[in-house]
Amino acid sequence: IMSKNKSSESVKVVVRCRPLSRKEESNGPAGGIVQMDLRLGQVILKNPRAPPSEPQKTFTFDAVYDSSSKQRDLYDESVRPLIDSVLAGFNGTIFAYGQTGTGKTYTMQGLWLDPEKQGVIPNAFDHIFTHISRSQSDKQYLVRASYLEIYLEEIRDLLDPNHGNTRGLELRESPETGVYVQDLTSCVCKSIKEIEEVMNVGNQARAVGATDMNEHSSRSHALFLITVECSQPGPDGRKHIRVGRLNLVDLAGSERQAKTGVQGDRLKEAAKINLSLSALGNVISALADGRSSHVPYRDSKLTRLLQDSLGGNAKTVMVATLGPAPQHYDETLTTLRYANRAKNIQNQPRVNEDPKDALLREFQKEIARLRAQLNHRRFRSKQKKEQVDGEAEEFVKLEEQRLEKENEAIREDQFLLAEEKQKLLGENEKMMGDLRKRQEATEQLTARYKAMESKLLVGGKNIIDHTNEQQKMLEMKRQEIAEQTRREREMQQQMLIQDEEAVELRETFTSLQQEVEAKTKKLKKLYAKLQCTKAEIKDVNDEHVRSRQELEQTQNELTRELKFKYLIIENFIPPEEKNKIMNRLMFDPEEDEWKFKPLVPDESKSSQMKKRPASAVGYKRPISQYARVALSMGTHSRYRAENVMLLELDMTPP
Amino acid sequence: MAVKCQRSILLPSCSRMTEKKTNMASINSVEWRSICDKFTNAQRLTETESRNDPENDPFRSKYKARELLREIYCSLKSFEAGEGEEDVGGENCEQRPPDQPVDGQTEDAFSQGFSGDSPAGMRAAKLGAVEYYLGVNHVDTEELSAGQEHLMNCMKMLEKCRVSSENVSLFIHVRNQLGILWAGRDETETAQGFLESAESIYQRYMKEDGRPPTDMTEYFTTEENLLTHQERTKRFELAYTHTMYYLAQVYKNLGENERAATYCHSTLQRQLQLSQFSPMEWALNAATLSQYYITKGRYTEGRHCLAAATVISGLAGEVPSEAAAQESETESERREQLWQKRAEIARCWIKYCLNLLQDAKKLLEDNIGELDTDRQDELKRARRQEEEEEEKGRKSAMLFGSEDTFDSIASVEEKVMCLFPLDFTEARAVFLVGQNYVTQAKEYFQMDGYVTDHIEILQDHSSLFRALAFFEEDLERRCKMHKRRVDMLEPICNDLNSRYYLLIRRQLMFELAETYNEMMDLKLTLANRQADNHSLDGHTIKKFNHLCSASAKYFQMFLDSLCSPEGKPPEHLEEEVLRPALVARFRVARLHSKLISSSPPVQLENLNRALENYKYVVQYCEAHPEAAAAVETELELSTEMVGLLPLKINRLKSRMAANN
Repeated sequence: IMSKNKSSESVKVVVRCRPLSRKEESNGPAGGIVQMDLRLGQVILKNPRAPPSEPQKTFTFDAVYDSSSKQRDLYDESVRPLIDSVLAGFNGTIFAYGQTGTGKTYTMQGLWLDPEKQGVIPNAFDHIFTHISRSQSDKQYLVRASYLEIYLEEIRDLLDPNHGNTRGLELRESPETGVYVQDLTSCVCKSIKEIEEVMNVGNQARAVGATDMNEHSSRSHALFLITVECSQPGPDGRKHIRVGRLNLVDLAGSERQAKTGVQGDRLKEAAKINLSLSALGNVISALADGRSSHVPYRDSKLTRLLQDSLGGNAKTVMVATLGPAPQHYDETLTTLRYANRAKNIQNQPRVNEDPKDALLREFQKEIARLRAQLNHRRFRSKQKKEQVDGEAEEFVKLEEQRLEKENEAIREDQFLLAEEKQKLLGENEKMMGDLRKRQEATEQLTARYKAMESKLLVGGKNIIDHTNEQQKMLEMKRQEIAEQTRREREMQQQMLIQDEEAVELRETFTSLQQEVEAKTKKLKKLYAKLQCTKAEIKDVNDEHVRSRQELEQTQNELTRELKFKYLIIENFIPPEEKNKIMNRLMFDPEEDEWKFKPLVPDESKSSQMKKRPASAVGYKRPISQYARVALSMGTHSRYRAENVMLLELDMTPP
Repeated sequence: MAVKCQRSILLPSCSRMTEKKTNMASINSVEWRSICDKFTNAQRLTETESRNDPENDPFRSKYKARELLREIYCSLKSFEAGEGEEDVGGENCEQRPPDQPVDGQTEDAFSQGFSGDSPAGMRAAKLGAVEYYLGVNHVDTEELSAGQEHLMNCMKMLEKCRVSSENVSLFIHVRNQLGILWAGRDETETAQGFLESAESIYQRYMKEDGRPPTDMTEYFTTEENLLTHQERTKRFELAYTHTMYYLAQVYKNLGENERAATYCHSTLQRQLQLSQFSPMEWALNAATLSQYYITKGRYTEGRHCLAAATVISGLAGEVPSEAAAQESETESERREQLWQKRAEIARCWIKYCLNLLQDAKKLLEDNIGELDTDRQDELKRARRQEEEEEEKGRKSAMLFGSEDTFDSIASVEEKVMCLFPLDFTEARAVFLVGQNYVTQAKEYFQMDGYVTDHIEILQDHSSLFRALAFFEEDLERRCKMHKRRVDMLEPICNDLNSRYYLLIRRQLMFELAETYNEMMDLKLTLANRQADNHSLDGHTIKKFNHLCSASAKYFQMFLDSLCSPEGKPPEHLEEEVLRPALVARFRVARLHSKLISSSPPVQLENLNRALENYKYVVQYCEAHPEAAAAVETELELSTEMVGLLPLKINRLKSRMAANN
């Protein structure tokens, strides 16, 4: 059962720009082409090739981070709220999108060893486990992690040690659990150490290549999935489970996605040109995506996996990364446009409560079952042990006594007795063995129980909480500050919009001087706007003029050609021939060209081509009187029009 | 420009002598041979070796190829630098700002510049080709800006030349590449400019010249390795096929769907003609294209595409048997592939049949949703005339097919009609074809593993029945058809997990509720007809009440699925569920007031619930005035009922009081 947040919310988009690299700095004297207004959340892009008078392009986002921004800032301001909602049972997704070499992987992962430069993923780990350790002790948590990459439309499990040999995993769908990756390894993690270990194992298996653009270029999309299940007694006394899923996505460079056709139109993004003709399907499918018709285009793996995050029930943050180098102006512009569009995607986040498949519930049940078994066993074995021990000892003693007695009495039967004794002893031993086995089983059970229990993280007690109250306070404060900055920025953006209106409304001026100043300012602003519009108009005009000129030129050429042709016709073709041709000419609107009518009209073909006239007297062809006479005279071959050879039937039988 | 033109006209006469010499010299020289070798090497590196590059060094061969190309470029430059034509190019560059990515040279490309076979022309073409290859190389290695520069350099080189059979291939290729590049940056208009100019160059060339043009690879081959004419034509045509394909995408991105569809169609047609396609891929694309035509109501074209898809997919061979699949991995993969694609094509056929039936239904139904016989007669008459014109229509429609497939496509087409079915026999024929494909598609898309697809097929099957039921005149049989729909959907609806398949479940619930509702209406009409206005017998009443409550149950389930976890109905309905939710309320009310019962207290309770639901509709529309437009008739009726029902209830109450 899901609860539904009434209002839908849009994807949060933040933009980050990396500093100029040393190579780029040495290449061009002109600095970056990206300017950022941190307070307003605006990115201003300058076209390095355009004249300085051209207005710059401005984009507004939820937040922007310039080259001097710290990993921590980005995390606190933009990511922390998302992780908090994951811990509260929402689904969350963080994307990094951008051109190769703009710092997607740096943003997502960062440098592990330097705490200052840790990226979103390590910070998120830290956040999740700190949160768990500080929560109340009646909450139980289970944290699972999976790591996969999508390389050339093939899903690979990065945690599977021999993933290189196996074929790609399959996406499947079941009526119980929806879309899932079949056979995906998922590790239960108990601490930051463990989850970091998981990440490291995965990272080593990732496909990373060195190119001229980027020494460590991620060749694939990587998805790190964290599932946090939390069980908490509800007001009705039953335990309620909430499951939050966090997808951390490090996309491959944006220029590569167009080539592999990764972005289905479900990403609300127009399909790009694909290099191979076999991708023609994408185009056609996009065309046919109309009323209820079937499109045999199973979405790309990435979009299918993330369908919840894009227009689904998850909260999504997209980090668009930019490079400031002038030579990448066009790519940067593309990234910004794409990010700008992503702002419009609407999601309807909702809490996942008590899903059928929660592993936590299973674990809890298993633990309860094991505990019951264990208790039962302990109790029984204690009783039994006493009983068995006592009996056995007595039995052995008795037997020995009897043996001794009979030993001497019946010497012949010694063998037999010994045998019997052996047997008895054997039996005894066997019994002891059984006992031991049972004990072992109990021990195993206890161990399993312990292991199971340890997988569950209980808030408050199990994890050593390094942070004291003060640190906690600090964190809270920091969070507050981040929240404050965010709100401030939003307000600033709002203000900017309202400013223009406000200026008009504010009509009371204290002095004439002030009024003049205000009006001048307004005038200047409006003048700048006017210039902008003028420039635009001019651009459009220029374009029109250019196209008109082109058309004129075409027309001139055509006229010249026509004149030339007329000249030829007049001088070289006799007028009656010309008339004949003119009469036969016909315009074919389908093929857009002039055609000759066939010499013989189509429909009258049969009537026009008359049959050969029959000869007057029934001959097959006209024949002269003289020939007819000559023919009747005799069989002179000269006058025989046909059947030159007369093959008359030979009447004489052989 | 004018001065330069004159120069270029004058040049050949004075440089012809030198040309012969240098040409002879260059072809035989060792240097030229080494250039050719380098080029072949670079080609091999880019095309074959690069596929085997390791993951952690993905562009190794491409970088090597780039080095070779650079060397070729340098030696070409120095090779003929002595001829003193260097400055001509420099002058030309200033004509246009270097970075403006506009292709303005189409017009004069045929009339101005060096002729293609002049030495200057050849030289420009060769340098241009190297620039082209460098550009492609850079684009491939993710250095788009650098790639663009090289490609624009190539354009500049070509600007100096006239289009001729020696260089037309390069003219088109470079524009294709620039089109891809700009489309990748979302600058669709720029891409469109390049691609359209490529198209016009192709067309004009084919009209004015038409000889098989030299391929770019031939610039750097020794004479004995020149290509045959057939090979040249093939490559050239392929380049143009690519242009068409890119244009299709560009037009799609610009929202000109009609045009994009035409280009997709011609791309497919060209692939078929030049037999450059993989059958399954092609068939799937044709089938998908049919879906576009179907949504536009162009069933003739749609059917043609589908028939072609079926025929061409047959060329891919038989689906390997299960035994064969178990033996080897490749076989099992092939089996999976073929099976899936054929199932997809079958699904396209289902949609074709379904849409055809539904459109026919829409055409024939009167205002209460029954068969309009007048309209039927009228359409039948019109059809007779149409049939005569159909033959003509066929000619104008675009057709697929090489000679050997044409007949088989036509024979597949004959199995199902492309005109609207007008009576039950015709509708049944269409239905049976559709049902046949349903079985075929379900074989692959099984519930286990393909939930959404499987359910969609079932929904289509149910819709097929529904559309067919419209044509059926016997009410008893119509009722049975609806029963089949219920049997199909009910178990599935209860099986699904509502967490992941909420939307699908809602659809199913609504459909089930409506089906029960229709069955109930039919039973009522039947009973009334048979009983001749006598009172209904007990069995019928029981049956009727069962259907009635089943329908109400599913409507209620649908409404419950919209509620919050606490069980409260939402205060504000989302736009996509607004109408369904209010209609469901209205229907629940109506069903409750229809339930037949002899005991007054039960009657009273039913009426009260009906009133409650009517009230909800009215109140919701009062609170949200924008909702009223969506449910106009329902609202009107509800308001009326809210006024009338209390009277009825009161009467019932007073009667009960009197009886007691």
